[in-house]
Amino acid sequence: MKNSVFFNFLFLLLSKHKSKHIAIFIISILIVFLISSVLFISNSLKKEVFLTLDNQSDFIIQKINSGKILDTPTSWIEDFSFINGVKNTQQRVYGQYYFMPENVYFTIVGVDLFEENTNKNLKELLKILNISDFLQKDSMIIGNGIKKIFDKYHYFDSYDFKLFNNELSNVKIFKDLPKEANLVANDLIIMDINLAKKILNIKENESTDIVLNVPNNLERQNIKEQLILKHSNIRILQKETLKKEYENMFNYKGGIFLILFIIVIFTFILILYQRYSMISSSDKKEIGILKAVGWSIKDIIKLKIIENFIVGFMAFIIGIVISYIFVYILNAPILKNIFIGFSNIQNDFILNPNIDLSIIMTLFLFFIIPFLSAVLIPVWKIAVIDANESMK
Amino acid sequence: MIKIENLNKIFNENTKREFHALKNINLEIKNSSCVILKGISGSGKSTLLSIIGTLLKPTSGSIVVENENIAKLPDLHASNFRAKRLGFIFQSYNLFDTLSVKDNVSIALIPLGFNQKQIDEMVLKALELANISHKKDELVYNLSGGEKQRCAIARAIVNNPKIILCDEPTANLDYDNSIIFIETLKILKNLNKTIIVATHDPIFDNLNFVDDVINIKNGIICE
Repeated sequence: MKNSVFFNFLFLLLSKHKSKHIAIFIISILIVFLISSVLFISNSLKKEVFLTLDNQSDFIIQKINSGKILDTPTSWIEDFSFINGVKNTQQRVYGQYYFMPENVYFTIVGVDLFEENTNKNLKELLKILNISDFLQKDSMIIGNGIKKIFDKYHYFDSYDFKLFNNELSNVKIFKDLPKEANLVANDLIIMDINLAKKILNIKENESTDIVLNVPNNLERQNIKEQLILKHSNIRILQKETLKKEYENMFNYKGGIFLILFIIVIFTFILILYQRYSMISSSDKKEIGILKAVGWSIKDIIKLKIIENFIVGFMAFIIGIVISYIFVYILNAPILKNIFIGFSNIQNDFILNPNIDLSIIMTLFLFFIIPFLSAVLIPVWKIAVIDANESMK
Repeated sequence: MIKIENLNKIFNENTKREFHALKNINLEIKNSSCVILKGISGSGKSTLLSIIGTLLKPTSGSIVVENENIAKLPDLHASNFRAKRLGFIFQSYNLFDTLSVKDNVSIALIPLGFNQKQIDEMVLKALELANISHKKDELVYNLSGGEKQRCAIARAIVNNPKIILCDEPTANLDYDNSIIFIETLKILKNLNKTIIVATHDPIFDNLNFVDDVINIKNGIICE
């Protein structure tokens, strides 16, 4: 059998059988689109979150008293710095500020602009900053979500924060962050560390927590013990633990979707199998005619497999392309929010393309193999029966 | 020469629905002859035709065509035999309604490994012989019964087979088209084809080019 002639006939059949394939084609596109969208979003978020976490310090230390988290004395920085193997010990100041008109919380982060070890993420955000201008007055850099709220209430240049003693502190809006930073900075206000302490009512000799690095990961358990020996009333958060928690969270959310989609695919394959088992009399007749004119069972199965492979493959490619457009160009409306979960300020972060080819290949195999099997088995059953019977 | 010996066909063997369709058939059909298998519906003539055409396997017995026993050929060999040496004409034409006349005829040549140019030439020749070349691009769906039968004839002869099997070929044709069909059979006979027609249509009675009429009743050949 000449391949060119075979494929001419195959494409002729496909063009004539358009209406027969259209329902399966559309359902296949929909399934591939939904599954790949979830995978794209989950991968993109995972990558962003892990990049952010990678730039965090190895240990976060908080002061605990009777199970309650308190502000941490800055004098502990020195205590911890003396431990061998510990690097870059520094204070962090952050906290939530309630904005009553919208019933939302802003996250205020205080940065020490002269501190060398300021978090790499913040450094990236602060690259655009002219430090001397920023320090001249009390200034702040705000995230995109906060900018929208401030604009709504006509705070175009500055905002008056209400302090603990009911006085007001006017802080100039120095800059707003680009939308690309929304995933980490949508509800963020960045300001000088001392100003942040004033607004969040943290004493000058205290901070929200203390962070430090331990470059040698074999030392980490040992250093954890030494930290507890220095101050017993502490809670230690490790970057690895946070990473695992985030990974679990994404896997859990992605897993729920995947289970749902596996059920959908399974149902679809059953429907497909059912459709081919109750293959129409015209389909049976076709197979019978081909047998009668000299086509072998092998040739007929080859024809049907390639015919359905083309339908499945086209549906897969279209599903992936639509999903790419939906996630990375339209920014995955609705679906994205299911992943991001609760957010007190509406977050319009942008998903950056992060496509894992191995995931696409796995998805392709999980889709196409059951798809073809569901077609192949009933076709084979018909191809082996008496051609006269098929043509009746 | 087609030589059939002790041929039996039992459907649903060893079940409650067991049916003995052909009983100990012995038959010889000479090359280039035209044989009519006559009998009422259910007599077993179509079953015999399907067995000769390797679409069915007999329960026992042998069919030797040109010194080759085709009774129990595996699918690959049986399909090769059909593709090279057989042409089928069916009662209900068995064409692809959504394809053109030309495409329907070319289907029979695809398994034989011809290239597209060779296929086009052979198809045109067969269409001319079956007197349907003027409708070659027409969809089968739009053809009349007589035209569909001519398309089926073209498909049956396109591979230049030695044997042509016709199963109730005039059952769906009016008198005029039946006469045209018989004239075509005569032409094919003159081209030295071995023709076997299973029918109960009286129009095939007393045709001068028919070499033998075999009556089948309840799966048995009646003298």
